[in-house]
Amino acid sequence: MFNLKQLATHLYRQYALITCINMLEPWERKLINGFFLVMLALVFFSSYWYLPNYLQNLLQVLTPPAWSGQTENVAYVAQKMGTS
Amino acid sequence: MGNFDAFEQGFASPNGNGRLPNGHGSPKERLSVEPERKFSAPAYTEIRTRRCNAKAAAESKQASSSSYHPEKKAHMNGHASATREQGSSTKPNQAEGKLSPEKEHYQKTSFEEVPMHTACLTYLGFYLLMILGYINQLLFVPKVATEKDREGYVALYDAFESFYSRYVYRRIKDCWNRPICSVPGDELTLKDRVTDDYGWSFKFTGTETRCLNLGSYNYLGFAAATGRCADESEERARDSGLAYCSSRCELGNNAQLDELEKLTARYFGVEDAIVFGMGFATNALNLPSLLGPNCMVVSDEKNHASIILGLRLSGATIKVFKHNNMRDLERVLRDGICQGNAKNGGKPWSKVMIIVEGIFSMEGSIVRLPEVVALKKKYKAYLYLDEAHSVGAMGSHGRGVTDYYKVDPKDVDILMGTFTKSFGSAGGYLAGSKKLIDFLRTNSHAHCYAGSISPPIAQQILTSMKTIMGEDGTETGRNKIMQLARNTRYFRRRLAQLGVITYGHEDSPVVPMLVYLFSKIGAVVRTLTTRHIAVVGAGFPATPIMEGRIRFCLSAAHTKEQLDYALEVIDETADDLGLKYSRKPRDPNPIEY
Repeated sequence: MFNLKQLATHLYRQYALITCINMLEPWERKLINGFFLVMLALVFFSSYWYLPNYLQNLLQVLTPPAWSGQTENVAYVAQKMGTS
Repeated sequence: MGNFDAFEQGFASPNGNGRLPNGHGSPKERLSVEPERKFSAPAYTEIRTRRCNAKAAAESKQASSSSYHPEKKAHMNGHASATREQGSSTKPNQAEGKLSPEKEHYQKTSFEEVPMHTACLTYLGFYLLMILGYINQLLFVPKVATEKDREGYVALYDAFESFYSRYVYRRIKDCWNRPICSVPGDELTLKDRVTDDYGWSFKFTGTETRCLNLGSYNYLGFAAATGRCADESEERARDSGLAYCSSRCELGNNAQLDELEKLTARYFGVEDAIVFGMGFATNALNLPSLLGPNCMVVSDEKNHASIILGLRLSGATIKVFKHNNMRDLERVLRDGICQGNAKNGGKPWSKVMIIVEGIFSMEGSIVRLPEVVALKKKYKAYLYLDEAHSVGAMGSHGRGVTDYYKVDPKDVDILMGTFTKSFGSAGGYLAGSKKLIDFLRTNSHAHCYAGSISPPIAQQILTSMKTIMGEDGTETGRNKIMQLARNTRYFRRRLAQLGVITYGHEDSPVVPMLVYLFSKIGAVVRTLTTRHIAVVGAGFPATPIMEGRIRFCLSAAHTKEQLDYALEVIDETADDLGLKYSRKPRDPNPIEY
């Protein structure tokens, strides 16, 4: 438990050094931290919400038609990508 | 940088004589300091280190290898004069004297490349700081000196420079220009200050911190408040006063300065020497008298600002070669000589001069003098060697890099150096042939117009120089030189073993430790200050953006205990702040002092 806390402080210190937030004033610190949090949230959200769909479609486009047995309607795939 | 320092330096009434703001003083004293530090950014906040608490407990138990601490009055026994065994001088490098100068140089010099991700992060952090700075500038009007009623005039402050110093440099300004209140010997006393407004202004708390001094150019440890040098300087001040208030050409000349010049010439083994009261001016004002518009100068890219200023004043054509790169030097020399003076229709140059430094103070590297001398002879150029940092610190007799490489000092046309560093005094000299020095005596601006050296300062130079030469009849000088060489090798090897990246030659007492990120410069300086070590950081305007560094300057005054203490603290700090960038294999064996 204590080790975990130490690790967390160490990681936060590294983060603070890399982003230079250890030199900043509190409001700037909040701004930068907020910016990074928003960015992180966006990445998580989009990867949860859009990524599975995208990957499925991508897989469908990339797989050779011979694998799926019958010749697929290519226009349909393109349409599907457009809608998602 | 320091445009506004004068405006912003606030003074607080001293409150008691408490020791330290970081927990070493008694509780009562600390309380009296506390109300002044209600803001979150005092000048020195301790960055809690990971092993700080556990380590402190362990230390008190086992009383680790070094019992030294700047706060205590420790018993020193690590001086070379005390620990020296019979005939054990510094352990020489295995490559010494066996390889060609070029290979030997590569073996001894390290310039490790920066890891890719660190380089990217450094730039990103810097962009972030700049963007934040611009936002700050947009939103707030600072309470500092502003220009009024200057319509039609050129702006007093350069726009970018003032922006940079206000919004980027200001954030870690507490790490520079720190006031001290003691002699900067092996230890020094820092005056503590706090800032209530994030670096715009500082207040003295009235407390002091005793620190181990790893920041002064006190190579041979002659900067001391006691001892022979100090006594004789004091005596001289009583005899002859403090200044002649006149230049050498008028009433400022005296027997003591003549003696100093003769001694300097004898010290370097050349015909004659001339001394000046200011080291910077020695370069900046004498280069214009030696060079003119029809001259070509080949200058190392890392040369000091005083050389660059002197060259610009002289109006000579300046060509720059890559730092310590002999192939590039030869290319530049050959091209320049072949093409001639382009401004004068390709006619030959009237003079070609190579300008290098002995030890480069930011890089910690040593000039490859034998190869430079060979090139100089091949292309019939003059050689100007600035030994500001190397004189006293290099070579078995302390005569600088010529002594270190066993090069005949007469092969170097102009030897320049300062008395500021190794001699613990002030001023500069030029040494060379009688003809050159006589020419300078009639033509040099620094000789004709600048005031002569103050008698006690000259006495300090005389005494320390005689001590180094052994003319005082003691072994002090030789011991100091040996102590410095030992300290240097020990410290550099231990640092390499820790895994931090250091630059430069293994025998150079200037040891830059690369930390790269701008924020880490401040963090390291602050952390080391809380652990009672004073070091100097160097950031963007002084170095390239990417190469933020901490510069340790070793001294003969340091003992092994002090260095061990410093290394232990640096080890912890490097772990906590992530400074161990080096990917070289580390020496697993303990380093011998």
